[in-house]
Amino acid sequence: MIAIAGPDIPRELLIASGRDAGPVRFDPDRAPGRAADWLESKFAPWAMPVLDAWAEGAYDGLEAVLFSRSDDTSQRLYYYLCELQRLGRIAGPEPLLLDSARIPRPASLARTVERLRVLVQRLGIADAALEAAIARTNAERGAGPAADDRPACLLTGTAPPDGRLHAVIADAGFRPVGQTLAEAWCDRGAPVAEGSGDPVAALGRWMHERPDGPRGFRDPVASLAAGIAQAQARAVVLWRVEEDEAQCWHLPQERAALAQAGVPALVLTRRDWRGRDGAGAEIAGFLQGIAA
Amino acid sequence: MSTSANQRSRKTLACTGEATAYQKAFGQELRRRVVDEQEPFAIAQADTPHEIFHAMDIPIVSNQWWSAYISAKQLSGRYFDAMVEKGYPANSCKYCSLGLACTLAKDPASAPWGGLPRPTVLVARLTCDCIQHVFGLWARELDTEFFAMEAPAWEHKEADWFRHSHDQWERVYQPDRIAHMVAEMRDLISLLEQRTGRRFDEAKFHHLMERINEQEGYIWEAAQAIGAARPSPVSIADQMPNTMIPQWHRGSDWAVAHARKFRDEVLERIAQGGGAGSNEKLRLMWIGAGVWHDPGFYQALEERMGAVFVWSMYMPFAGPAYIRELQGRPMEALASRIASMNETLHLPPWMSGWMRAEAERCGIDAAVILLPPDNRLSQSGTKLTAAALEEAGIPVLMIGADMVDANIWDHDRMVGMVAGFLQDRVAA
Repeated sequence: MIAIAGPDIPRELLIASGRDAGPVRFDPDRAPGRAADWLESKFAPWAMPVLDAWAEGAYDGLEAVLFSRSDDTSQRLYYYLCELQRLGRIAGPEPLLLDSARIPRPASLARTVERLRVLVQRLGIADAALEAAIARTNAERGAGPAADDRPACLLTGTAPPDGRLHAVIADAGFRPVGQTLAEAWCDRGAPVAEGSGDPVAALGRWMHERPDGPRGFRDPVASLAAGIAQAQARAVVLWRVEEDEAQCWHLPQERAALAQAGVPALVLTRRDWRGRDGAGAEIAGFLQGIAA
Repeated sequence: MSTSANQRSRKTLACTGEATAYQKAFGQELRRRVVDEQEPFAIAQADTPHEIFHAMDIPIVSNQWWSAYISAKQLSGRYFDAMVEKGYPANSCKYCSLGLACTLAKDPASAPWGGLPRPTVLVARLTCDCIQHVFGLWARELDTEFFAMEAPAWEHKEADWFRHSHDQWERVYQPDRIAHMVAEMRDLISLLEQRTGRRFDEAKFHHLMERINEQEGYIWEAAQAIGAARPSPVSIADQMPNTMIPQWHRGSDWAVAHARKFRDEVLERIAQGGGAGSNEKLRLMWIGAGVWHDPGFYQALEERMGAVFVWSMYMPFAGPAYIRELQGRPMEALASRIASMNETLHLPPWMSGWMRAEAERCGIDAAVILLPPDNRLSQSGTKLTAAALEEAGIPVLMIGADMVDANIWDHDRMVGMVAGFLQDRVAA
């Protein structure tokens, strides 16, 4: 089985290969162990517990873990893991890296398709199986969320480790709209072209055109506005962690966009990913103020 | 509050002053061309193919040089403060954003050159999560275009890459990565030709590549000699300007001639038995970008403890990172130079493998590693490199500081920290 540890990886690959283990599992709240000797402080906080779990053999049952160049922490962790294995410091599954070239130019699209084709060949996936997986996931893409009358609160920014912030929003009487880290890694996004005759190229195009995330090229302010509109949000919580190096650059524009949207918003930046800094209470207080 | 002493470094070689004088004159000439004459120019990251711009005679302002220039004028704190006042987080990556901060401050009275005019294009490789955002914002502020270049995944790993990079570059840097880089450089050339009306001359480019090999060969020869000499004839205070300034002008007649002169002065000094310090006892390695706002830091312990910084990455990098056997394919050779310039300095196994080998080559007694608190890219690989050095018997001190942000630097405290480390771990 093969797990993923990063965004913008087409799950169709692993479904088609019959080896889909989903996102790699880890305990976000565990105290740092040996990983603290190897990883520096600015890595996204999920890297430390994943590396610790890896070093302890938690992933030994996996054949491989697939990392993504769409995310800096994901791709750097891949190199660290390869080196630690080379040095004999850790064992575990084989780290793999899916190159994802997102620059909106033909050369980057060609690069993405080419590297995806290499990986498909390595995993021994036939075109027919890939085409079937595309059809299956496209069908699942059509399924919308269950009906929910509660007002929506968009939780955006950094993907939290689990549903801990979502639970705070729900407890305040709002419907949380936003992805956890695992959900973000598994995000299906737009449908993939079916029956193209070249399913690898279709998936490569899907990867290349992914609009958001640290390596996406869509205007983040436009993404935020689209998120608010799509969720019909009555409130927005923009939450970013201390380690964020990408989206934080758009904060002034995002603040302006939130003011212009006229939706009540709480902006929390440089926060603790585990929520140990009182973010939950701040969100609850903010939403109670709106409800009142 | 910053208590940076901003002490000037003491230079040993005559050619060092000539290099800095040349760069000063070049800065004035560059300013004349891009500000007064309004020639098309580019802002480019250091790890982009400057050779293309040189071959097309398009002036470039290197982002790192511009940052160091601002920082050396003690303006970094002012501009970072201005950026925070505009709503950007105070913990944003500093090294690549100082130029943007200067532009955002909109303060021509304080800015070097009164601030940069509108460039034709900004060019950067996407080597981290922040760079496309910084350059995207900067391009928008300057009302121009951002040409991003990929930093493709590097799955072929050779820890001793530096032994093979000059002639086995296709294998070392991975053929598909080189091909992609060539495709991007062709796109860049097309864009530059369209925007500037200047043509890319293949023959001129080929000649430039040959001249760069000659230039970097002199630097590498000097680096080899310095590694073997006891005492070290010069410290990094002389090494850095004599490597980097010609590298900004790589392949030019001046750059090649200067590199040769530098090598000759180094060899002459070795022959005379001259040392950087009068009493060299400890040979130190500096890992990370230079602390541009306090160059005197590196020589602060030379007299007191005989501790001489004999190694920083800039000079020895000239050999493995720049010299390329052209093999009739200069564009591919250039791609191999550019495709991994950053990765080899910041990712295992390349960083740790090279730096351990360099420490052993140069007889290093201890290493000091810069660990910028808000910069994942610059932090990367440092712990594994420290472990590799310690394993080789070389004590390592990691210091939390930033290469351009003087706000978090305290000269006396940093010097004291290094002195304490040397007393505890090395001299004892």
